[in-house]
Amino acid sequence: MRDNQTGVTAFFKEDQKAAEAVRQVRDSGWTLADVYGPIPSEAISAALSLKKSPVGWFTLAGGILGFFSGYLLAMFTAGRWDLIVSGKPVLAVIPFFIVGFEFTVLFSVFGNVVGMILSMRLPAYRDLPGYKTPGSGEDFTVVVACGESEQSDVQAFFSERGARIAQDQ
Amino acid sequence: MDKLTFAEIDNTVVNTLEPPARMYWTIVALLFAGVLVGAACWAYQIAVGIGAGGQNNPVNWGTYLINFVFWVGIAHSGTLISAILYLLRAGWRNPIARAAETMTVFAVLTAGLFPFIHLGRVWMVYYMLPVPNQRTLWPNFQSPLMFDVVAISTYLTVSVLFWYTGLVPDLAIVRDRASGVRKKIFRVLSLGWTGKYEQWRHYSRAYLLFAALATPLVISVHSVVSWDFALGVVPGWHTTIFAPYFVAGAIHSGLAMVLTLMIPLRRIFHYERIITDTVLERVAQTIVFTGLIVGFAYATEQFIAWYSQNSVEMETFRFRAFGTYALEFWIMVICNSLVPLLFFFKRFRTSIFWLFGISILINIGMWYERFVIIIGSVAHDFLPHAWGYYRPTWVEYGIMIGSFCLFFFLFFLFVKHLPSVSMTEMKEKIHEEGAHAG
Repeated sequence: MRDNQTGVTAFFKEDQKAAEAVRQVRDSGWTLADVYGPIPSEAISAALSLKKSPVGWFTLAGGILGFFSGYLLAMFTAGRWDLIVSGKPVLAVIPFFIVGFEFTVLFSVFGNVVGMILSMRLPAYRDLPGYKTPGSGEDFTVVVACGESEQSDVQAFFSERGARIAQDQ
Repeated sequence: MDKLTFAEIDNTVVNTLEPPARMYWTIVALLFAGVLVGAACWAYQIAVGIGAGGQNNPVNWGTYLINFVFWVGIAHSGTLISAILYLLRAGWRNPIARAAETMTVFAVLTAGLFPFIHLGRVWMVYYMLPVPNQRTLWPNFQSPLMFDVVAISTYLTVSVLFWYTGLVPDLAIVRDRASGVRKKIFRVLSLGWTGKYEQWRHYSRAYLLFAALATPLVISVHSVVSWDFALGVVPGWHTTIFAPYFVAGAIHSGLAMVLTLMIPLRRIFHYERIITDTVLERVAQTIVFTGLIVGFAYATEQFIAWYSQNSVEMETFRFRAFGTYALEFWIMVICNSLVPLLFFFKRFRTSIFWLFGISILINIGMWYERFVIIIGSVAHDFLPHAWGYYRPTWVEYGIMIGSFCLFFFLFFLFVKHLPSVSMTEMKEKIHEEGAHAG
């Protein structure tokens, strides 16, 4: 007979204990569905073997685009009227650097935000399975997907490691 | 004292979002009335012309520019606290980072109004946008005023995005505890944040990059503001010290405003265990540092004027100290560079009364600093027959009152509707302290 799939949600007070549990779950053969936390944690990130985020590439692309946009905008507008103002050359390289710099920062930040939103796949308003709101601000939450027959074993595994198990499970 | 827990932080901050008492709405209504006073004065000025203000030859830059520089300055320490101290891993910034960032956003918004007000014919503002006008003229990006437009609009955009990014995890906490319409609103605002480590991976990286980008930006913005003056050939303005002098002054005034806002905030919302005495003491110590830089800049200006033996420069600085605006000059010197030295003594920097009182004095002193720089130089420049005096009119006072009311009105709305302390950053702080304690 087919074993129905279910999940066990365990709440930890300390990230080190959650990270240790994550490592053991990954070694055990159970399916690690998700890990949530109120703060970033190096221990949990290491346990999940998370790689460095690619957001920086978006930021860099934005910055390069911004620098040239700002510089070229200033050169283009100056070139429309060949008027010498305050003795500066029409295409004044040094003053235009300021415009280029501000646009660099502005477009880098746009790239940063776009990269972050795309990488995190936000906004996401669907209800996520396994996401238990009561622990959102306080606990490090580990969700394991397992068959119904394994549920009590998984619960016992987490309880032994000091976790609190979600009440509806 | 017991250690703070994650739950206690959430409870303390989320409790501040409970429906406010009638007193709160009374204050909000009074502040809004002040905003209307400012708006009415501006409307009057638009109707009758810029002459409704006291600006006239030779002082064409009056309180509108003073207030512009003042509010941009206030904004700067918010970014110092949220970005620069974040990069330096100064843990004491965490409890006040959110309120300081919010202060930045509202101060830049308020500052951004003044160039519009100062324009007089405000509908001509599109001359400053990079679009051709009806005579196919484009803006001239060689002008420091155009640098300013680019810098301030970049600063406002970056500040708002940085502020909102920092808010997202906290908005999710409020969402998870809310019900009804409030839950729906916070559900939309929090963008579906769950705190999954896949999200934290990208978020932490992006936040670090935000801080790294905001740091040079904040220094560039007030440097650009200083070049509005320093690129003009006016005695007292045309000097290379202006950029660092303005940046230091901006942070000095902003830190004072942080104290002015934080002290009542922690009292009203019972944040004493979050915004501790130590945090306020650290702000006071930083004020001593910025106050010394500002005092050094005042002394350098005077010294260089004498050392140059340029008669116009020497006369300008003599006029500042002993001329018509001598009272304003000495208010500036005493409030900004002498009074903060009291914070050298632990007794003063650990007393709420003195912290609050001195912060107010620095705010006043920094407003007068801008008065002395802006008015003092153009009122008394090269040609004695062109010297003149300036006095603000009731229209300018009304607009100034309106700007202060607008800032506090927005801040009052913020503290009761959004988390005024970053719960996430507070948790990171106590988590790090716990890790270091072993």
